Amino acid sequence: MRLLIVEDDAAIRGFLERALSEAGYQVDTANDAKSGELKALEGIHDALIIDLGLPDMDGLNLIARCRAQGSSAPVLILSARRSVDERVKGLEQGGDDYLTKPFALAELLARLRNLLRRSSPTPNDAVRLEAADLQLDLVRHEARRGDHLLQLTPQEFSLLEYLCRNAGRVVTRSMILDHVWCMRIDPATNIVDVHIYRLRSKVDALGRTPLIHTIRGVGYMLKRA
Amino acid sequence: MIRTTAAWRISVWTTLAFALGTGLAFAIVYLLVAQTIRERSDAWLSGEADVLAQVSADTPKDNLYSRIVGEVAELATRELPDERNSQGQRLNSVFFLAEHLGENESPLWVGPGEKVAFRNAIQGANLGRGTPQSIRVEGWPTSFRVVERHVDGRGTNIYLGLSNRGDLQVLHNLTRRFLLLWGGTVLLGFLIAYLSARRTLLRVEQITETVARIGSEDLGERLAASVGRDEISRLAQTFNLMLDRIQSSVNQLRSVTDAVAHDLKSPVTSIRGGLESALCNEPNENWRDSVGEAIEGLDRLLNQLNTTLDLAEAEAGALRLDRSPIDLAGVAQQLIDLYQPAMDERHHELTADLEDHVVVSADLSLFRRVVSNLLENELAHLPPKCRIQIRLRSQQGSAALVIEDNGPGFPPEIAGRAFERFVKGQHSPGHGLGLAFVDAVVKAHGGAVQISDRPAGGAVITLTLPAGVLQPA
Repeated sequence: MRLLIVEDDAAIRGFLERALSEAGYQVDTANDAKSGELKALEGIHDALIIDLGLPDMDGLNLIARCRAQGSSAPVLILSARRSVDERVKGLEQGGDDYLTKPFALAELLARLRNLLRRSSPTPNDAVRLEAADLQLDLVRHEARRGDHLLQLTPQEFSLLEYLCRNAGRVVTRSMILDHVWCMRIDPATNIVDVHIYRLRSKVDALGRTPLIHTIRGVGYMLKRA
Repeated sequence: MIRTTAAWRISVWTTLAFALGTGLAFAIVYLLVAQTIRERSDAWLSGEADVLAQVSADTPKDNLYSRIVGEVAELATRELPDERNSQGQRLNSVFFLAEHLGENESPLWVGPGEKVAFRNAIQGANLGRGTPQSIRVEGWPTSFRVVERHVDGRGTNIYLGLSNRGDLQVLHNLTRRFLLLWGGTVLLGFLIAYLSARRTLLRVEQITETVARIGSEDLGERLAASVGRDEISRLAQTFNLMLDRIQSSVNQLRSVTDAVAHDLKSPVTSIRGGLESALCNEPNENWRDSVGEAIEGLDRLLNQLNTTLDLAEAEAGALRLDRSPIDLAGVAQQLIDLYQPAMDERHHELTADLEDHVVVSADLSLFRRVVSNLLENELAHLPPKCRIQIRLRSQQGSAALVIEDNGPGFPPEIAGRAFERFVKGQHSPGHGLGLAFVDAVVKAHGGAVQISDRPAGGAVITLTLPAGVLQPA
């Protein structure tokens, strides 16, 4: 997978390049819209990461120009503005996505994966999810660890499903709120943690190998051992 | 440059309009006077010519004829005051000419100068019988008004002429005096217009200077309050109002900046300290915790920063409301579900009494944050084991969301100011922005927020929202 980062801030560009390379992507960079456009039009990138506030052109204009010239790679927009512009929201329907700065790297990776999955159509309609000895039946809304049927509320089941879909990857609290509760809010209190503790007390009940791990400062991850 | 001033331009245009108007009025008067004078001259000419024709017809054509008619004509010419120029030429001239047609008599001539020139002029002009006409005579600077009469039975044509010189002189005098008067008036008008415009515009200039000074120096200064109600006084008053608003915004901004700086310093210090000790200490398993703690601290910081900025935006009225009909009970229930475990953890008893089908037109994501802030506020401020109740009711044309607890209530030191930002109880853990944000968002939706203490102890927060699309169950 090859990505193009168009970002004028050298610190962010460098950090993204390093992090994305470590995550296994091939990364090209551009520091302004003009060179970004040239590189994007080569057509070799699977996704574009474009900053909204470029020195020579608005990021949205750059996207429009690329689209007009036949580029079809999905775009992840980075915006420094907190309240997201209607026009940017509009891009969500077009298959693109946005992220406001500052963002957790885990969230960037998750959104990127999402974009790349959307662009290469592999159906996501599994009826069962498995991680270690944890099994989720999405049709009957049942979760088991080994032979033991877990007694979960619908909310807890959704949360476990989200963790399971991202097994082996870190999910942040705001990602959890966004995907499980469909809310983009930033609570100052530990409401998500409380949900996780409750779920953990059922999934990782005494004597079982813990599956839900806390990644301090970032979020949570479901993984074996 | 005086020519670039508005006072100059205003007075020039005013004067021009004034000069044109008075000039036009004079032109009309001039034409009327000229016509009147001509009518009077013509009346005199016609009358005299009739008399002369009568005399000419009645006088027997003998040797005395010329003398009698000549003297009558002479008398007629004397009726007008006589003027002579420096060469002794008669100026206000009347002439009389009697032509005897068909006979070899020489024409009878009474008048100034040689009759030849007059005869030629009369013969050259095609005189209509009866009405006077103007003809030019060679050697005379002004034209003559001439009337022709035919004396019946005599074959005689008589001509009586009057120089237009007198009329023209009257008109010239009129014009000259008017021009003098006109020039004076226009000049005076210009001066008055310029001075009064300048006087008015000097007040504008003063305002400009004061405002420029205020802009660069002291925001506390104000324009001199003038008593009048004219446009410029209103301009000054409006400027003062605007300055009041600017000053209060600037003061508010300053206090916010101070508060933000103060509130940011302590978390930044602790984050820095944590990272520093993680770096300096011997490598051990705790470094992960230190880094994680630092990231959590940064997230809290960013959260606070975002809330501050959102609040500033909301208070500045710059919120973009993406309104849609939302079911308040649904939104509230969703958030109650989200917060329930956290409430349970602190052994709060959270109950909801939500009326169905209370629909308001509001921004969904903002409203979620409002309810979330209210619940966060309860979580942050209540001691464990409290009862919290959320009620939703539709009233006449509005919806009321009430959140009530049996905790300690609002501390007396912040009563009445709980919605101001950074106002919080002394021992309150929050950043003092949550309720301010609630208030700003609800106000942006045209609603109101009230806080009060319950008589039995505890706090009540009531949100009232106009029900834009209230649908009865």
